[in-house]
Amino acid sequence: MSKRIVYMMMCLLKGVFLFSQSASCIKFSPSFGSEKLSADSVYYLNVSDSIQITSLRFYVSNMELLDNNKSVWIDSNPFHLIDAFNEKTLSVIVPSNISYSKLKFNLGIDSTTNVSGAMGGDLDPTKGMYWTWQSGYINFKLEGTSNISKTRHNEFQFHLGGYQHPFNSLQTVFIEITSKSTIEINIDLLQIFQQINLAQQHHIMSPGQEAMDFSEKVIQSLSIKK
Amino acid sequence: MRKVWSIGIVLFLVLCAFQITKEPLFSVPTSWPKPVYDFSKNPLTAQKVELGRALFYDPLLSKNNQISCASCHSPFTAFTHVDHDLSHGIEDRIGTRNSPALMNLAWHQSFMWDGAINHLDMQALAPISHPNEMGEKIESVVKKLQQSKNYSALFLKAFGDSIITGEHTLKAISQFMLTLVSSNSKYDSVMRKQAQFTPQQKNGYTIFQKNCAACHAEPLFTNLQFENNGLAVDTTLNDYGRMRITKNKSDSLKFKVPTLRNIEFSFPYMHDGRFKTIAAVLKHYTSGVKHSQTLSVHLQKPMILSSNDKVDLTAFLLTLTDKSFLFNTKYGFPKK
Repeated sequence: MSKRIVYMMMCLLKGVFLFSQSASCIKFSPSFGSEKLSADSVYYLNVSDSIQITSLRFYVSNMELLDNNKSVWIDSNPFHLIDAFNEKTLSVIVPSNISYSKLKFNLGIDSTTNVSGAMGGDLDPTKGMYWTWQSGYINFKLEGTSNISKTRHNEFQFHLGGYQHPFNSLQTVFIEITSKSTIEINIDLLQIFQQINLAQQHHIMSPGQEAMDFSEKVIQSLSIKK
Repeated sequence: MRKVWSIGIVLFLVLCAFQITKEPLFSVPTSWPKPVYDFSKNPLTAQKVELGRALFYDPLLSKNNQISCASCHSPFTAFTHVDHDLSHGIEDRIGTRNSPALMNLAWHQSFMWDGAINHLDMQALAPISHPNEMGEKIESVVKKLQQSKNYSALFLKAFGDSIITGEHTLKAISQFMLTLVSSNSKYDSVMRKQAQFTPQQKNGYTIFQKNCAACHAEPLFTNLQFENNGLAVDTTLNDYGRMRITKNKSDSLKFKVPTLRNIEFSFPYMHDGRFKTIAAVLKHYTSGVKHSQTLSVHLQKPMILSSNDKVDLTAFLLTLTDKSFLFNTKYGFPKK
């Protein structure tokens, strides 16, 4: 008899556990216009100008869900290194059994973390997202080639970072969302390239005004996929 | 009787163990300020310090496996590169700066002559990656370490994990560097009232306090700030120091104030190693200071020192030599 009760209790607990674990997922989907981003594709800005992307990596940190501007969930794993060409890294699990209307996150790494020494996981400096000559995380990295960049091998490299005033390039993003099983956040590179001129601007490798301006263009390219 | 003996032996062993564990890996010398390094995030253990020491002396950290940290930071010269104005790295490539002496690093908030590095843990990344220094990537260093049976074992012992990460590699190097504390010079003994200055050293100390201590503040003998000390720009290097990092004109020609501890052994002096002797340095401060907009407030008035003053001041500076630091076998090349 008592065994049966224990068994029933366990089933009940398991149910509760499963319920509390029910989750939806926030998925970053990088694109070039309406096309899904891939490393092998050639994209066209116009008839003659083409772009290939070799690397798109960025940090999403301190994710938070809000309801009526009140925090209802804070990500217990605050740092995610998103790599456009590594499917596994694109999704972040969030709970679905709570109601929320807004998503908040940082694009990049906050200043406190930047001055806190060596860290592991996605923050490990072996991930290639840390400046070695001047301490600080690279918040956002976009690399590729284009016939417009008159550089060696037509390369362009945008490494955006900087955590110190007046060159803090961290961007805080607020997006209105409705809860569903997969919330897709589109990052459209076409929108970024339409706002810059690769003939004149093809390298950003240090903190400064340029990195800050470019970071703003990056968050403007984010939208919720309907 | 036998019982008494065995109790005695046990007691003796316990006492021995106590003696061994009693000597801390790091301690704050009496009346020194609190260190800025957050030890709670990287608590020192003997195994981690030993691992860090092995890494510090291992040329595996460089691209061609020829240059170690110790190549430019030799223990016998207060962990700097003696005899070279500018330090050289792999394939005899020459850098643009004089390697700084390493000691009392737990008290530093920033590193490098221009403060480019914001945390001791991240410091090693700079020389590892610089093409003129070790020319390597931390990713490759970790790979090379992972392939070494010896290091797998050392990391397992130190971190409880034989999978080597960048984080653990850097933290281990920090651990060794944190133990490099120099606080046992004659000056320190005098401050602890265990020794006395000679009249000459005492006079030198008074001259030091009046003319030098604003920047080379006791007990670290640096105020840890960035100052323009009136050096003329070397047009072969055009190094404007701190300004490169902050992009702020008011930081032009400012460099981090180096410690004077063990100055007897850490020549040549200045960020570009332009002065080979203490006498040349004193000549600069008394007659060579170039005035510019960013010149340190402490050097606005001319420094006037007689030749006797200079001799006495030098006698004082030599009291900052700490032989127990320079020749400490704990800091030397690790035994295999």
